[in-house]
Amino acid sequence: MRRGFFVPTVAALGFAFLYLPIISLVIFSFNSNRLVTVWAGFSTQSYVNMVQDPQLLPAAWLSIQIAAVSASLATVLGTLCAVALVRFRRFWGRTLLSGMATAPLVMPDVIIGLSLLLLFVTMESMFGWPAGRGMLTIIIAHTTFCMAYVTVVVQSRLSDFDLSLEEAAMDLGATPLRVFFDITLPIIAPALVSGWLLSFTLSLDDLVIASFVAGPGSSTLPMVIFSKIRLGVSPEVNALAAIMIGIVALGVLVAAIMQMRRRPA
Amino acid sequence: MQKSLLLAASLTLLATTSALGQGVVNVYNWSDYIDEEMLTLFTEETGIQINYDVFDSNEIVEAKLLAGNSGYDVVVPSGFFLSRQIEAGLFQPLDKSKLPNIGNMDPAIMEATAVHDPGNEYALDYMWGTTGLGYNVQALQERLGEDANLNTWDLLFDVDTVSKLADCGVTILDAPNEAFAAALNYLGLDPNSESEEDLAAAEELLTSIRPYVRYYGSSQYIDDLGNGEICLAHGYSGDIFIALYAAEEAGADFEIGYSIPEEGAVKWFDMFAIPADAPNPDNAHTFINFMLRADVAAANVNYVYYASGNLAAQEMIDPEVLEDPSIYPTPEVDAKTFVLVARSPEFSELMTRAWTRIKTGQ
Amino acid sequence: MSMADLQGQADQAPRMTLYQRITRRFGKTAVILVPMSWLAIFFLVPFAVVFGISLAIKKFGRPPYTELLSFTDESSVQLTLHLSNYLQLITDTLYVNAYLSSVSIAATATIIALLIGYPMAYFIARSSDRWRNILLMLVILPFWTSFLLRVYALSSFMRGTGVINNFLGMFGIEPLVMMQTNFAVYVGIVYTYLPFMVLPIYTNLVKLDGALLEASADLGARPWRTFISVTLPLSLPGILAGSMLVFIPAIGEFVIPSLLGGPDTLMIGRILWDEFFTNTNWPRASAVAIVMLVVIVLPLTLMQRARDAVVDGDNR
Repeated sequence: MRRGFFVPTVAALGFAFLYLPIISLVIFSFNSNRLVTVWAGFSTQSYVNMVQDPQLLPAAWLSIQIAAVSASLATVLGTLCAVALVRFRRFWGRTLLSGMATAPLVMPDVIIGLSLLLLFVTMESMFGWPAGRGMLTIIIAHTTFCMAYVTVVVQSRLSDFDLSLEEAAMDLGATPLRVFFDITLPIIAPALVSGWLLSFTLSLDDLVIASFVAGPGSSTLPMVIFSKIRLGVSPEVNALAAIMIGIVALGVLVAAIMQMRRRPA
Repeated sequence: MQKSLLLAASLTLLATTSALGQGVVNVYNWSDYIDEEMLTLFTEETGIQINYDVFDSNEIVEAKLLAGNSGYDVVVPSGFFLSRQIEAGLFQPLDKSKLPNIGNMDPAIMEATAVHDPGNEYALDYMWGTTGLGYNVQALQERLGEDANLNTWDLLFDVDTVSKLADCGVTILDAPNEAFAAALNYLGLDPNSESEEDLAAAEELLTSIRPYVRYYGSSQYIDDLGNGEICLAHGYSGDIFIALYAAEEAGADFEIGYSIPEEGAVKWFDMFAIPADAPNPDNAHTFINFMLRADVAAANVNYVYYASGNLAAQEMIDPEVLEDPSIYPTPEVDAKTFVLVARSPEFSELMTRAWTRIKTGQ
Repeated sequence: MSMADLQGQADQAPRMTLYQRITRRFGKTAVILVPMSWLAIFFLVPFAVVFGISLAIKKFGRPPYTELLSFTDESSVQLTLHLSNYLQLITDTLYVNAYLSSVSIAATATIIALLIGYPMAYFIARSSDRWRNILLMLVILPFWTSFLLRVYALSSFMRGTGVINNFLGMFGIEPLVMMQTNFAVYVGIVYTYLPFMVLPIYTNLVKLDGALLEASADLGARPWRTFISVTLPLSLPGILAGSMLVFIPAIGEFVIPSLLGGPDTLMIGRILWDEFFTNTNWPRASAVAIVMLVVIVLPLTLMQRARDAVVDGDNR
């Protein structure tokens, strides 16, 4: 089909727009000058600085821990929620659960962050828990909003699911629990993995909510990067960005290769 | 199985976060405000771990303190915020018996800070400085002439002058207290005035120069000035010096200068204080006492280019810092500086609303 | 099969243990109750708290807002509700303008994203199978990298001493001021949310029946005409989905206007942050949040429910 000139050009410009800033980030991480926009020679000094920076790597490690725990909790809770919404047609509070589960998707981060901070402050004055803000409060906050994404992902997979498989198993005498773990779970496993990965990424990337509910010594990576960026350009951040982009690119490449291998000849 | 693992994991997290109460001190200080080697030295000497967080505006510290249980043991707010925070009961009195190095403090500074903290009961000065103008010497001379007076607030507040500088970038601190004080002082009014007419006049002045201001920020200007991205910044003395040395180091083809303008400038004090609900008050005292040591205070001054309230430290401060009149002002210049005091809550409301009006045009 | 056979089958079903009987009975409840309790505590209750605080006023102390319930003496309780925050939201032009400005900035950015994203999606949908997957991966890849770092990349691109201006400087062109402007915010929003625009449109276009397009061509329509009369209307669901995915989050954005916008780039996310952190006015920040919820989120949730109901009705 004759496609003409217009579409490919705009598409190419679009891809260029997406990638040029990222590529320039990576290139200038190897700049020997502190300025990140004038090339002055090749050097890996900013990588050394990044590793030695007292804030960056501890914050990265903290963020990874928080993301892993939040993603796991969110996957469990989100799956339960999806199962409840898809399998159980009518129960008391169904609309409420459905609303609560998907509202975080459209809610601005500032509102989620503000409301959770106020909740924690009020709870602390009434019950004494949670004492101060820190890693725990960030995990609770992240789990809550990541859960919404997992629910949506698993819900769509579950609705496509062929119920007759489950019914057959139950006819053969298996309990619902057994059916879930032996039949349902393996089939929706890809959705669980996507949900986990999505939650992990969102948690790792969250700035606003963490800023509201973090405490001393629990500065997450986005918080550290944000304060560095506000001070101006920072080659260590470039170095960190290059490494993160590299890891992600590698991961996507591996996933792509695995998928192509699985495709039947 | 997965769930019980997670439960165990979360309980462990809970346990660790509370166990960290031993041998830790949580410090909340301005960004770029300490020689980090001093932090390592502190841990080496005392074995206490430091959690060091930074901020760039007094308002954020206040927000965290008001939220309660901020988790911090030592905070470093500025004097005029400190006074109303003391009144609100946010801090605990210092136990002077745990602070033997208090003898190092400059009595003149102690007297000055007593304005904010009567009897010096709750806080001790860490650094003090002025808020003036930082500028790119070459860029300004290009636009205003070789023998232009670079020592006046006209650079910022005189519409004819600042309009010539707009293209190379002018910034103002995002701190209503500072901006209004400078404006009121320029108009010949009392910088600590609580009169609504005075506020309106200051607001008019700031609005008149608004079209020429690139942005309002309290931390970005340091890097931008040193990079040549902006040419005039309303900023803190030590920050401008950081920009000055950064430009020198990068071999830039321009110089940065700082001036305490002849019409007068704000003199502020940043003070150590211990929140009332600090988890480790003893370690907090140990930390403050360490920072009051002459050699530690001197090392910090040599690193951040601000003046210290520590008299004993002066022997160990770099002569070029000690003798720089922009850092340690001469008595004549010092006489022109003024200290800000806390305003009443109603006036603060009016001031912050006026500030938003100036920034956003709403 | 006779009744006797069926009866025999039922007899042969394994007997349930006590554990199984309990889980069968309470399993359903547990599955519903666990996520519901979590959401009720950490999602619903916070909004009740926010609403409550929005009816207080700022006080300098810990916590920085007045109490709603207070004991006047041993036997009386006083409930004080301040409506001043909401009144201020209506009377003070700052807030109304901030809401309107947020919507307008978000809408403009969404349209730009559409104009760039649609051709991209079209190009990918019309590509060969092998290329399609690679291109899709290229679109999604930026999303997996930190969004903060991508905004930072943009800022180093657009600064006065940034890459673009250095490039223009080589031709002797004066540096353009791109940072701290509304323009930078548009670029930032489009840059961040472009994958969300491309993917729904792509999904829609790829399912398009090629036969329809062929039929249109057979009837003598030029490619442009086919596009306007056939492709565009059929891809409307994708366009709507993509636009919603960009427009809604963009309204409440904080980071992008904060790093790239100017002091006069009014966006409601920033106003909320400022009210909370800079003015320490928690009650007013709470009121801003409640109004934002009512004006933006509630209609959306209702729309979502309506759509779900339609889908459910179809599936039944």
